[in-house]
Amino acid sequence: MSANKKVAIVPCSGIGKAFGTVSRVAAYQVVEDDRPEDTQLVPLALLVMGDEEHQEMLKEMPAITIDGCKLACATKMVQEAGGKVEKDFAVLEVFRRYRQFKPQGIAALNEDGEKLADALAKEIDEVVDEIVQKGAQDA
Amino acid sequence: MPEYLETQVDKFFFKVATDRLYSREGVWVKKEGASVKVGLTDYLQQLSGDIAFADVKPMGTEVTPGDEVASIETIKVDAVIHSPIHGKINLINPKMQSEPEAINQDPYGEGWLCQLEVTDWEEDSVHLLAPDAYFVIMKAEAEEEAKKL
Repeated sequence: MSANKKVAIVPCSGIGKAFGTVSRVAAYQVVEDDRPEDTQLVPLALLVMGDEEHQEMLKEMPAITIDGCKLACATKMVQEAGGKVEKDFAVLEVFRRYRQFKPQGIAALNEDGEKLADALAKEIDEVVDEIVQKGAQDA
Repeated sequence: MPEYLETQVDKFFFKVATDRLYSREGVWVKKEGASVKVGLTDYLQQLSGDIAFADVKPMGTEVTPGDEVASIETIKVDAVIHSPIHGKINLINPKMQSEPEAINQDPYGEGWLCQLEVTDWEEDSVHLLAPDAYFVIMKAEAEEEAKKL
């Protein structure tokens, strides 16, 4: 995938809740550690503020959103910006698949929270790979 | 469709359906023939947070007031739900297995937990709270919780 066709990763910006923190920890893992060449973090706060640069970016990039709660702010803001959400992850749904990892903590997650974030990141990695592969085939 | 008593505490809105009875801890029961449906109040579900799992005791389980009838797991709490009445579980809401978020989305409707065949309704109902009485207790609790924010 070319540098300007990265996958946008847009996590929840919820502060003060463990699920929001899980979404951000997972997002950083994907963007900084697992798939740095193929992804770019788009801060939800900038979309909320109406940042035109990032809104335009989302019109060109497939997006993966990670929502910390049922308000689904990340997904809604990407759609409002005119972006295409290829896959939306809800941390609650991920937790249902990994019940043994009960996240706690806000600024810093507990061990289970870190494990849940890692599990979520790996699921996101797979979707990134699918999008990248599809992009390569379409090119 | 039930009617509601409604209030706002801080930024939160809470509803109490007027067509059923309540326990102090926020469990409602609604009589339907020889059975009652059991569920969580709007306040209790909001206080608990997004419900990830709801495990109802098996069909046929006999309960007395105070016995566990179900448990819920959210990001914030693992909570045991106590039966407010005597009865035997004769129906479990299938959504509790597949879509427990129904409790959050529609606590007085689609989000009911289970149905109990009542065995001592006349006696049990005396100890339950009418909607307006629960409303007062719920509002006071919500105001106390709001002070912690």
